[in-house]
Parts: sequence; C-alpha cells; structure tokens
Amino acid sequence: MNRKSVIAASVAVFSLMAAPAVRAEDHIAVIVKATTSEYWQWVFKGAEAAGKQLNVKVDELGTPKDDAAGQISVLETAAGAKPAAIVISPTVAEALGDPIAAVTAAGTPVIVIDSGAKTDKFASFLTTNNEAGGRAAADALAACIKERSGKVAGKVAYITAMAGHESLDSRDKGFVEGVKAYPDLKMVGNRVANNEEAEGMSLTADMLTKDSDLAGIFADNAQMGTGAGASIQEQKLGSKVCVVAFDSDSGELEHLKDGSIYGLVIQDPFMMGFAGIWYGYAAAHGARLPKNVDTGVGVVTKANMGDPTFAGLLDVTKRKLAPFIGN
Amino acid sequence: MRSLLRQLPVETYVVSFTVALWIVLSISAPSFLTQSNVSNIMRQTSIAAIVAAGVLCTIIIAGIDLSVGSVVAFCGVLFAQLSANGIDWPAAVIAALLAGLIVGLLNGLAIGALGIPPFIVTLAGLQVYRGLALLMSGGMTVSGVSPNVKLFARGTAIGLPNLFWAMLAVGLVIHYLQRYTRTGRYLYAIGSNAEAARRQGIDTLRITIVAYVISSGLAALAGVLLVSRLSIASPSMANAYELQAIAAAVVGGASLFGGRGTVLGAMVGALLFTTMGNGAVLLNVDPFWEMVLEGLLIALVVYIDNLQKRRQMGT
Repeated sequence: MNRKSVIAASVAVFSLMAAPAVRAEDHIAVIVKATTSEYWQWVFKGAEAAGKQLNVKVDELGTPKDDAAGQISVLETAAGAKPAAIVISPTVAEALGDPIAAVTAAGTPVIVIDSGAKTDKFASFLTTNNEAGGRAAADALAACIKERSGKVAGKVAYITAMAGHESLDSRDKGFVEGVKAYPDLKMVGNRVANNEEAEGMSLTADMLTKDSDLAGIFADNAQMGTGAGASIQEQKLGSKVCVVAFDSDSGELEHLKDGSIYGLVIQDPFMMGFAGIWYGYAAAHGARLPKNVDTGVGVVTKANMGDPTFAGLLDVTKRKLAPFIGN
Repeated sequence: MRSLLRQLPVETYVVSFTVALWIVLSISAPSFLTQSNVSNIMRQTSIAAIVAAGVLCTIIIAGIDLSVGSVVAFCGVLFAQLSANGIDWPAAVIAALLAGLIVGLLNGLAIGALGIPPFIVTLAGLQVYRGLALLMSGGMTVSGVSPNVKLFARGTAIGLPNLFWAMLAVGLVIHYLQRYTRTGRYLYAIGSNAEAARRQGIDTLRITIVAYVISSGLAALAGVLLVSRLSIASPSMANAYELQAIAAAVVGGASLFGGRGTVLGAMVGALLFTTMGNGAVLLNVDPFWEMVLEGLLIALVVYIDNLQKRRQMGT
C-alpha cells in the first residue's frame, strides 16, 4: 500500500498547513470525461467526500459523452468562474494541453487526473499507470489460461472501447507488451468499438465465431467488460474462454460472480476525485505538490473479491473515508 | 423491361444487396454460415430492426423520430430498476411499455396539435429522455435484474432465438397495420399529401399520434429486450440508435419525404448493417473502413431507389 501511504502522508502534511480560515464560498470544479459513465460518477463521489471534509463546494462538470471540444468549453467556463482550483481528466491529451496551460497561467491551479494532457503546466497529475494495468491484465489472462488448460498457450485478442483515447491506448499497449512475455500466446486480433456494451457483446461473439479456439480476451474498459461478460454468459463459455477487463462497474461484478469474467483490473477513481480535491485545495493555498502520483491498480478475481481491501474499491458506497488506513 | 422495373417493390434493392452480401460472406468466411453465427446475427439485428420498424411509421407520414435512442435507454433503465427492486417482470414490462406509449402521445400531440416540426420535438425528446434516464440511474449502470429477464434473450424456440421471434412478431403486426387497416392506409395518405388527406376528412391528428406512439412504444420494447440481452441497463446505452434506425428504414425503401416504406424493407435494412458489422470482424476488415462502406452503401441504395422512383413517376 505504498502509494496510499504517500498520498495519506502528503494529505496529512498539507492539512497542517491550515492557514486562512476556510471560506464556505470556496469552490473547486471537477471536470470529467463523460458524466454518463459509472467510473466518473465514482470520481464525483470521491470529490464530494473531500469537499465535505474541507467545507468546499464541489462543482461536478463534464460533457455527457467523451467530447474534447465540449470539454474545452466546460473548462473555459469553469475557469471563468474563478474557482479555488480545477480538477480535470482530459478527454484528449493534445487538445486539452494548451487550454490547461492557459488556466494555470491565469492563476488557477489545475490538478490532472486519470489521463494526461500535453503540457507540464499543471500542479499535479494523479493517475493509474494504465500501461502497468494492461500488463497486469496480460498476466491475469495468462494465469487464467494456465488454470484452465495447464499451460500458457493459445490465441488471445483484445477489444478497444473507442479509438484515440490515451488511457485506452496505454492499457492496450501494456497488454500487448505483457502478452509478448508469454511465447506461446498468440495475439490474433483487436477490434475497436463505440464504447457501448451492446457493441462489445456483438464483437465478442463475432471474434469467437472467427476464432472458435480463442483462449482469452482483454476488454479495456467497463463498457467493453460488461459487453464481453454478457456475451460469454450468453454462450455459456465462462469455463472455456478467459476474460479480463478493466474497471468494475456493477455489470462486470455480476459477471465476475457468475464466472463469465475471470478477472478485473480495478483502478481507484474514488481516490482520484478525493485526492484531486485535496490537492487542488492545497495548491490553491500555496502548497508545492508532487508532480506525478500513481493511484495504483489491483487485480480482482472471484477468488479474492471478498478481500476487505477490495470492498471499498469494488463498491463505492462501501468506501471508508480514511485514506490513512487500508481503504 | 420498363414496366417490369416499375412493378418492382421498394424492398428489392435492400433485399438483393443483403442476399448478395450473405453469399459473398458464406464463400469468403467459413464460419459465417454456421448456426451459432447466424443466431448471433439474428440476435444482434432484432433490437435494431424493432426500433427501425417504429421509426418507419413516423417517416411514412413525412415526420421523423430522433428521440427513439433515448427512449430505448429511458424505458430500459426504468424496466431494469423496477426489476432490480423486486417487481415481477410482466408488471415491469408493462410499465416500461406504458412509459413509451406516453412519450409517443406527447410527441404526437406536440407535432399534430401544436404544429411544432417533428425534427424539433423529437430532438428535444432526445435530450429530455436521455437526461431522465441519467437522473433515474444517477449515471450508474443498473444491475440486479431478475434472472427470468436475462433468460429471455438467451433462449430459443424451435431452434431460433427468442429475440428473432420478437422481431418477427413486431414485423407481422406492423405489416398488418400498414397494409390491411384503414389507419395504415391513412399513414401513407398523409405522407403522400398531408393537405389532400386532411381535406378528405382524414383525422390527421389521430394518425400522427398513432405513428409516434408506435415509434416510442417499439423503442420501449427494444429497451426491455436490450436489458434482457445485456443483463444490465446503462443510461448511456442505445447511443445513436435513432440514426441507425432511420438509415435502416431509408435503405429499406422509405422516403424521408413520406408516403413510402415497408417494415420488411426496414428490417432487412437493419439486417444488412448487422451483417456488414459481422462480416467485418470475420474478415478482419478495419472497422473504420467498415463505417465508410456503410455510409456509401446508404447513399448507393437510396440513389438507385430514387432512380426507380423517378422512372415510376415519369410514366
């Protein structure tokens, strides 16, 4: 739990730099990629929790679906309202680079979460190491294949939720690199979807039709994971085909329980929102922050999903507020 | 030859294209014409086909329904939440369908009685119902749906998927309505010439309401079936379904100017697009090229179809 201790320690230190009495009208804006996604709702919940602790109003903003141009408008509008800080997850790294630099130059500290932006003019960057997550997925897939067939050999494929997203590209890159470490695993294909569960479901079924001996599939986000799990469950291939997916929304958890998904690579969106607000507040009061913070990934399987360390990560309503202990 | 061409039904082109595509895929992809792949295609097409059949009714009266995608999500979320809270599936289905019917009624009244253009009314609906779906679900996926619900989409009857039977049932009902009832004939009459129909004494308001109620009602049904298929409801699901449905109806022979179009054409149109998607995976075609091809296909089929229509009108 090293990175958690780092975050915990830094939050503790910054909270000692109390300084000016908290003004109730302090507000911090949180701008996510897509408000219609459960993952980002968890970020908001974390942000709300921090806002309550700090007595800061949290403005939950973002476009309904991934839309870089829309997000730039939201950012500019939010910056115009002169908040204490802005926490943002850039939809597209290159597009949001200059706007974020402009906001920082105008005096509002920016905390970047989850995905990078093409600039270094921000106060801190809290994210999952997506590439490491992709590699962890490859290892989990290999472990599953070994469990089922005794050796790590066979065809694997992956589904990309949508094109051109830095976090998804990193996860895919990590997965492909991770698979290379297993000489007998053959990568047979990659399909790109439109970030809809139904499309993920169709693609999984079609990929299995194309390669009926497919041993493993990696789905690089929650929507694809839910879709892939639904397809595996429909065809009752849970014990034959290994599926590893990113994130853990409720659909994926159901499939983890019924065996259609073998493992989930989970991030910590609650912490990104929570620490994002704390860091933003700290930056607004003059603190110097670490430039990069890794919020970590975990791999959950049916075997270890009951582990108390995962409870708050899998179900945001069970999340305990203390970053200082466990979860 | 000209008289033969004149007599060709509107669905000719979409059916020919689809049959041709199936033949090509059967030859070039060995796993295409297998029972499991054909079943998959049937399941994948059913929901889109049902939405297309609904939108078709609004297109026939020279209107449009852009809100169907959002209604699928809205009614789907409603259905999933009711089911997850212990309500028996029949009651939940009826509630979802009722919600769809009410949406259609509101659309129909706004368009028929208040005279607001269909594009505007249903565009507003697209936003409103998507927003309601998000509000109801808090932006989160709705899970915990009763197992009975999940079983429907997975099940088969006489070897064919339940979803296929649902699509067939909807197709037959709408076909009967359009061909063999007065309401159906009035739909085409209003679409061909709204003013003439009104002067003939046809109750255009009632027919307009019927068209939009069918459209939203079928979208609600599609929402229920989508939840059954996915075992969850996501407030962001069914994104852009309205555009796919319109494309399917138009490729199937419907004219956006009204007065033309059949449910067979719309459903085969939906099948054509699903087949293209399936073929793209089996043949490893770049999905981005596949999108370009779909767009070109829509343009091509509509162009050929219009050539035939102009020949028909010219004689």
